Amino acid sequence: MVGALKAQTKMTSTEADKLRTMVKEQAEKTKAITSDFTQYKHLDFLANDIESKGKMAYKFPDMVKWEYTEPFAYSIIFKNQALYINDDGNKSNMDVSGNKIFEQLNHLITASIRGDMFDDAQFDISYLEKDGKSIVHFLPKNSQLTDFIEAFHLTFNKKGEVEAVKMIEPSGDYTRIVLGNRQTNQPLSDADFVH
Amino acid sequence: MRILFISLCIFLATGCASYPKKNGFVLPTPAPIELLNPYFSDVSKDYVYKARIKAFDKSFGGIFIVKKLGEDHHRIVFTTEMGNTIFDFEFKNEKFEINRILPEMDKKVLKNILKRDFLALISTKPDIFEMFSKAENTLVAAEILSKKHYYWFTGEQLTKISRTAREKEKVTFLFSRINNNIAEEIRITHQNVKLEITLTLL
Repeated sequence: MVGALKAQTKMTSTEADKLRTMVKEQAEKTKAITSDFTQYKHLDFLANDIESKGKMAYKFPDMVKWEYTEPFAYSIIFKNQALYINDDGNKSNMDVSGNKIFEQLNHLITASIRGDMFDDAQFDISYLEKDGKSIVHFLPKNSQLTDFIEAFHLTFNKKGEVEAVKMIEPSGDYTRIVLGNRQTNQPLSDADFVH
Repeated sequence: MRILFISLCIFLATGCASYPKKNGFVLPTPAPIELLNPYFSDVSKDYVYKARIKAFDKSFGGIFIVKKLGEDHHRIVFTTEMGNTIFDFEFKNEKFEINRILPEMDKKVLKNILKRDFLALISTKPDIFEMFSKAENTLVAAEILSKKHYYWFTGEQLTKISRTAREKEKVTFLFSRINNNIAEEIRITHQNVKLEITLTLL
């Protein structure tokens, strides 16, 4: 653990500026993403992380679909200020337009996939580097949000694409999502986000 | 008048019969059972279930996690499929602690229902006060939080727990697809509130 922490070094402000510019340029060009994902839910008291897998699709500006295929069938679509859930054939939806927390979470999920969440008004941001990869820590400033999420950690590859998202809860337990087989800007239609 | 009297006798004889009697169980007591509920009793196991909850015409899902941390010590956590914690409860030496709960669920009535249900689910050795038998089946009466719970055994396998009030079933816990002391499917059904929890092992 100590070794892992030592391996992370703080970026200089020049390096941080360079990363931010690269990620923003990358995000602006990104109109669609599809990818596989593996999710690890870590609870300190468990012997093993709870692992689930599936496919993710994103379409500009704010449509996201997470489709879990293992070990259960479940999909959740964020679009038009609402959540659409298909839980193994049981469909439901939730209008979250009046719910500030959901609006923010939805925005953050979208922003974290694109990588572009460098908003100093919303977060205390720190820039780190480990094994040639950039890791950026975002600590929300909004106290309503900090009740749910203490920090987001995004890992970027050398092209400035998001490889992993870690959402840390106030208890220290976290959910880590690792994206793989990422494809950018392939054609996606609204039909890919039908409930 | 006579018919009314006979009807009244029949009603009293059947309506007020004890829960075991109604279900055809009789004394004498069979051999004692060491572990009443084995399903969440192994400290080396992470018990992880996909949950489906139907409550008051609403239906939602999540991941239901149970861990035995020691003698009379369990942690029960419910999260969304995406990993966000909905509630995090801890049962230790009959003490119930809420480590975390979403504000929307932070209601006294709901918390009491969940506390009673989950304690019944994880209690391995509640206080036994009576036992009955019928052919190869055994019925064990025990008390949890001052409520009577009947444990149904087919042979040595626990298949159902019934919480009763005035000798009537109020809540049932059905255990099925049982392998190596793990119930792969558990259904908790309330008779007097619209609440049903179905757990499927992942």
